[in-house]
Amino acid sequence: MVNQDYFKFKQSMVEAISILCMAILFIFLFAMVVFIGLQGARYFLPSAVHSVTLSYPQSLQEEYYEISYLSAEELAQEYQTRFQKQFRFENANIPQVSVRTEADVVHLKTHLGESILGKVRTLTSPESNTLNLENLDDLLATTELLKSELGEVQSTILQPLHQDIATLLQQDVAKDSPALQEKYQQFSRWQTYSNSIDQQLAAYTIELVDSHGNLRQVPLASMESIIFPNDLGFFDGIYITFSKMMAFLAQTPKQGATSGGVFPAIFGTVLMVLLMTLVVAPFGIIAAIYLHEYAPDNKTTALIRIGISNMAAVPSVVYGVFGLGFFVYTLGGSLDTLLFDDNLPSPTFGTPGLLWASLTMGLLTLPVVIVSAEEGLRRIPQGLREGSYALGATKLETIQKVVLPMASPGLLTGIILAIARAAGEVAPLILVGAVKFAPNLPVDGEFPFLHLERQFMHLGVFIYDGAFHNQLDSQTSSMMFASCMLLLVIVFLLNITAVIVRKRLRDKYERNQK
Amino acid sequence: MFKLFERKILSVDEISRAQAGIDVRDLNVWLSNKKVLNNISIRIPKNRITALIGQSGCGKTTLLNSFNRMNDLNKKHRCQGEVWIGDRNVYDKKEQTANLRTQVGMVFQTPNPFPMSIYENVCFGLRIQGQKSRRVLDDAVENALKQAALWNEVRDRLFDSALLLSGGQQQRLMIARALALAPEILLLDEPTSALDPLTTLYIEELISELAKHCTIVIVTHNMQQAARVSDYAAFMHQGELIEFSDSDSLFTMPAKQQTEDYITGRYG
Repeated sequence: MVNQDYFKFKQSMVEAISILCMAILFIFLFAMVVFIGLQGARYFLPSAVHSVTLSYPQSLQEEYYEISYLSAEELAQEYQTRFQKQFRFENANIPQVSVRTEADVVHLKTHLGESILGKVRTLTSPESNTLNLENLDDLLATTELLKSELGEVQSTILQPLHQDIATLLQQDVAKDSPALQEKYQQFSRWQTYSNSIDQQLAAYTIELVDSHGNLRQVPLASMESIIFPNDLGFFDGIYITFSKMMAFLAQTPKQGATSGGVFPAIFGTVLMVLLMTLVVAPFGIIAAIYLHEYAPDNKTTALIRIGISNMAAVPSVVYGVFGLGFFVYTLGGSLDTLLFDDNLPSPTFGTPGLLWASLTMGLLTLPVVIVSAEEGLRRIPQGLREGSYALGATKLETIQKVVLPMASPGLLTGIILAIARAAGEVAPLILVGAVKFAPNLPVDGEFPFLHLERQFMHLGVFIYDGAFHNQLDSQTSSMMFASCMLLLVIVFLLNITAVIVRKRLRDKYERNQK
Repeated sequence: MFKLFERKILSVDEISRAQAGIDVRDLNVWLSNKKVLNNISIRIPKNRITALIGQSGCGKTTLLNSFNRMNDLNKKHRCQGEVWIGDRNVYDKKEQTANLRTQVGMVFQTPNPFPMSIYENVCFGLRIQGQKSRRVLDDAVENALKQAALWNEVRDRLFDSALLLSGGQQQRLMIARALALAPEILLLDEPTSALDPLTTLYIEELISELAKHCTIVIVTHNMQQAARVSDYAAFMHQGELIEFSDSDSLFTMPAKQQTEDYITGRYG
């Protein structure tokens, strides 16, 4: 009886410990997702602009506007605690903090991503310079018209003219030939016209007064958005949130990656992962097929297997260094001397770029793909292979028609794992081609459309870089968190797709599914 | 009255080479460096049903597998001797195993349908042969399923997954799959061991029917089944062929003591 009780106690202890471990794990996972989600979501929610006044005992006064997701009282509280720490031994010097929230403060964003906080003084048009905000819509409509006029002149008249002149010059036409002269005249005429539109546009401005009383004039043409952050209705808030999300997904980073969006990073990540998959999927699957179907069952094969498992354990930065040394310098360097001799000494492929990054990541994820593909192949019952052989199929036909379709869930799992890993990797990418800011996307309208030698942006690298930014400035750190959230969402979506596809394939190919 | 059911049964020693479906001469087989078959010589008569009996591990399946060279799948396989089917030596170096296996069909112990539709399962072999004409395939599938007595049950759901069939249906599908290639010889490796008695009966009837067009070799652990179904029976023990004769004599008056012990259940 005693033994029985002891046995039961042991059983329940084991159960309790395993549940505890599981629970701790889940708490951490959940906390991570919630933390990243909240911090990231903050970036998109509209935040108030407070005017903060610091009055120092030496009758110095400082006043400025600050964007914050905190309320006025919370912000004041935060300043108090900060100053108490800062002036720990000179309590007398602690400044007075007062935080006000004024309804008429505007938050203006320019096309360059600059944020300007202040109060609107006047709006100016060529006719009048004492307009107020009620005329804003009219003025904006006028500037829009002028802008489209300017764009049309530039794209339909000036550009073709410029090209014509260029072709004529290339054909060695004499400088003073009548054809060229006429083109030049036309060009300068239209350029004068477009300049005049430019000047007209510049006359439409909005004038803000910032907290120090300084005036700041912004041409309406370069204004992207203007909002009253302290006077938002519910629907305005929703609108702003969504427009911020759209901007985040569709724009390029501006102002040193503190505003704008992360589109190039998303694009670069997806493109790099796609290229990597193109490389790694066939190689990995063929290697797995060799290992499982063809390789003799001997020591060499065992050694190869051990080697592959070890490859999976090599630190990723080592792959990065290898990629830099082998792909970039050796392979890229020789490619340059062979094919791009004209451009030397400036390198074409002999510098970190998209192709080398994809190849390096392919190498890094190859073991993952091989191991899980082999696992997938191993799951297929030997009986099915025998059945296929017994019907006169050769080995190749058996693999093609029976083994591979049935193993497809396993193969897919490996590829998705590889993709998820590559999407989140940072260290090797920094070495072989991912950069903080790449002005050009690797794909554009110029021949050969896909520029494999270009450097690119990557979400992981972007986050890594963002983590070094000033954490007190709530906007920038939130942008990093927003990118984190985006990366999480992308990886989750990938995994969910994998699960769904795998389930479908399993339903199709596995036994006893009724 | 029993004459009605009788077929002309030759005594084993009278089987000429021309009448032999499979002619095995001095066959030795090693699997994983272990000798499994020891000097087997047997003439399996054409268009008759031959049962291989014996306890587990005595080499029945290995013998069966050497008829269509399925033993080759074992990487440590070695063999000596000759197996003649018609006028070709199966173990000749020039012999193409894939081609051979289309003429020597095989059905395994557990049904192993491919995860495809019933139709695709049956025409798998023909497609491998490069047959693309839809009409030929349709006809072959229908014929094979009819021969395997499965047509009436699956005619309305030919394009459903074969995995949805019951065990007995799957086993008949396996037979149909092998028959679609119109093989000369059909090898059955304990085809009913995983099935219930009624389904077993079905398949036994089917086997007797099939013997009209092809030579059938069946491995079985079920003495009654062997006695019921087969025309000839061979008893094997530890890689040796102990006795081979027509089923009537083997099951009623075995020549060897060992055989008698086995069929009466004294060992094995």
